[in-house]
Amino acid sequence: MFHWLEKNPFFFAVGVFLVIAFAGLVEILPNFAEASRPVAGLRPYTVLELAGKEVYKKDNCIACHSQLIRPFKAETDRYGQYSLSGEYAYDRPFLWGSKRTGPDLHRVGNYRTTDWHENHMWEPTSVVPGSIMPAYKHQFTNTADIATAYAEAVTVKNVFHVPYGDDIKAGEKAFDAYKPKILAEAKKVADQMKNKDVKDMVAAGKVPEVVALISYLNSLGRSRYEANKVK
Amino acid sequence: MNALMAKGLLFAAILIGATIYVVNSMHIDLSDPINLITMIGAIAIAVLTVGVSIKYINQMKTDSASGELAEENWDGIGEYKNELPSGWAFSFLGTMIWAMWYWTMGYPVNAFSQIGQYNEEVKAYNAKFEATNKNADAATLQQMGESIFLVQCAPCHGTTGDGLSGKAHDFVDGRISKKQVLAVIKNGSNQLGYQMGAMPPMMAQGKDAEDIATYVAGGMKGKQPAAFAACASCHGADGKGMNGMAANIADYDENLITHVVKHGKKGAIGTMPAFHDRMTPIQIKALATYIKSLRGE
Repeated sequence: MFHWLEKNPFFFAVGVFLVIAFAGLVEILPNFAEASRPVAGLRPYTVLELAGKEVYKKDNCIACHSQLIRPFKAETDRYGQYSLSGEYAYDRPFLWGSKRTGPDLHRVGNYRTTDWHENHMWEPTSVVPGSIMPAYKHQFTNTADIATAYAEAVTVKNVFHVPYGDDIKAGEKAFDAYKPKILAEAKKVADQMKNKDVKDMVAAGKVPEVVALISYLNSLGRSRYEANKVK
Repeated sequence: MNALMAKGLLFAAILIGATIYVVNSMHIDLSDPINLITMIGAIAIAVLTVGVSIKYINQMKTDSASGELAEENWDGIGEYKNELPSGWAFSFLGTMIWAMWYWTMGYPVNAFSQIGQYNEEVKAYNAKFEATNKNADAATLQQMGESIFLVQCAPCHGTTGDGLSGKAHDFVDGRISKKQVLAVIKNGSNQLGYQMGAMPPMMAQGKDAEDIATYVAGGMKGKQPAAFAACASCHGADGKGMNGMAANIADYDENLITHVVKHGKKGAIGTMPAFHDRMTPIQIKALATYIKSLRGE
């Protein structure tokens, strides 16, 4: 029946293209669906949180922690409400992860606090006795790269129209003008911490990695969208 | 029987012998059906592999090309017309018909909702949970409370409830500390959503505040300081919070635990997040029972 097709390389190529293109469309089109739009009330990450997200990637938290709560009762009981695709609208890339050596972190901002994270990053077993998570003491002295995080915010604002304010724009001058806001945010986190080095660094106008990371972790979960907040 | 067949049977016999030898030398218990089935499976694989190999090797030796050539050829290399066996063709048609049924009648596109299934499951589970635990006795509540505590509370309050040397409230010691009481008196409190409303800051000052703090932290034993009258108007003379109108400062009760779990709390030690969507009323009751027991009463 199709011997004619086998003798016509051009039409055969067209046929192959059509079949593969169909499979591609099935995978790509859903990303444009309504469900992938930001959920109501979701705000983009602040620059400090973006810097924390970089720390999260750099120290490879994703190797042991997922950020995707599936709609199963066992998961929602432990980690909170199941994840919605619209919650990842400003995640580039999303950090779903695929392995849970440690717990899921998608809603960790709802049930852990700054001081808890401080204790946990310094010495995990001080709060979770059986924990096998390594300590991340270097985060208390390393400086987070807020300039790159700011550049990322500018990029996603210009390219993907992420709704940042007018004060986030390209150029070193704009960054210098914006920096006090980042530091003020970092100070709020550092004020709830006990580590003296961290406080000194923030006072000196530098952002330690742990402050950025905690700010990011606190933003995870429902805290980033106010619409569902329970009064 | 040709030589190939003889070699094949010998090889199969060796494989079976090796399997049985391994099973024996590892002392595998064959009365366990899983082990038995696995061993039979291993023997079947050996026999089938040898049998299929013999069949095709023989076919390669004896078969010759035959059949009708298709019209097209590529640089002299041709292709036989090879009709699809009718069984395959009918099965293929069958899957097509089944696919049409699946899309249109069986599970139409978008008819299945994972979230819907989740909601139904949760609803069914909660109904069952309510039914079984409606009149749970103290021992059941205690046990349930312990498992909730270990999952939700232990990361901050410690697995024993001792607050991990000051990182969170200590339930074993069992009393609010003097520092905590002084902080509440100084800052007031409007966090727990009690009917009585906000507690204003600076209800007592200086020595009065000190006296109250010592008295409350000490378990409200001994003589009540005169300044406690300022507290009694809302918390009651016995400090029990007038039947849930205000916080019970004399004891952990279900009412207090419910309010703290629901609203979270920011105090002298630090911040506790709200766990409002994590527990049902029965679970909070269980948690309260367990927390009360931590004090060793």
